[in-house]
Amino acid sequence: MKPMDQNEFERLCRARRMLAELGEDACSLREIAREVGISPFHFIRQFETLFGITPHQLRIRTRLAQAKLLLASGKHSVTEVCMEVGMSSLGSFSDLFQQRVGVAPSEYRRKARSLIVVPGMLPERLFPGCLSMMGHLPAHAFRNFQEAHPA
Amino acid sequence: MRIKLTSIMVDDQTKALKFYTEVFGFLKKHEIPMGEFRWLTVTSPEGRDDLELSLEPNANPAGKAFQDAMFAQGIPLAAFEVANMEKEYARLKKLGVVFKGEPAKMGPVRIAICSDTCGNLIQLYQPA
Repeated sequence: MKPMDQNEFERLCRARRMLAELGEDACSLREIAREVGISPFHFIRQFETLFGITPHQLRIRTRLAQAKLLLASGKHSVTEVCMEVGMSSLGSFSDLFQQRVGVAPSEYRRKARSLIVVPGMLPERLFPGCLSMMGHLPAHAFRNFQEAHPA
Repeated sequence: MRIKLTSIMVDDQTKALKFYTEVFGFLKKHEIPMGEFRWLTVTSPEGRDDLELSLEPNANPAGKAFQDAMFAQGIPLAAFEVANMEKEYARLKKLGVVFKGEPAKMGPVRIAICSDTCGNLIQLYQPA
């Protein structure tokens, strides 16, 4: 495989930004490929090589990530969230969410709301920040350090 | 105080573990379930086994925005040292890794930048 040139790299990064747009005006995958000037087949293949995910899968993942965020904020109904992430069928949205996240959107919303401590902040368990999970680790995760520094 | 742990955000921990072990060749050190995510770390077989790289989920939108922007600007978020750049470059290319350009000399090092397929550019460098 040849190294990727800067032009193609930039086009694919632009396509990824477009894929993240989810509202009513969001472009279809075919439109995005056309917009960045890469043939659909080549677009899918190169996109996956660079980002490790197909454009279609990335759009699904982006929809779910955005949906989780909106549900966790507790400010939107499941129907509103469904529309907001660019899906028109509530049934399809709920099925997809249930299948990928493991719980129904309404259940996720209820659970997430109960985790929020500080208004305006995201529950750490659902949106972990940099190294913040460390406090929940068992002691053996730090074994090497303890061995190196016996009490 | 010592440096024992560093981290890199990844868009998918399962994919990241596969890439960092099977492609980069690191070894899994810890994999501890934490709700939806895992405490997931790797070490290098060519380095100290207690110096860990944590493959962290980028579920937080702020982290993801940072990661996406750095990638689009072509800025690597981590650098790993290699003993032989040409050999490593050829090996990784054969495994389908995307590089931004050929290895190039830059001051006292030879560098090459590749995608880790998890949302990051990684700089490989070989000291002179």
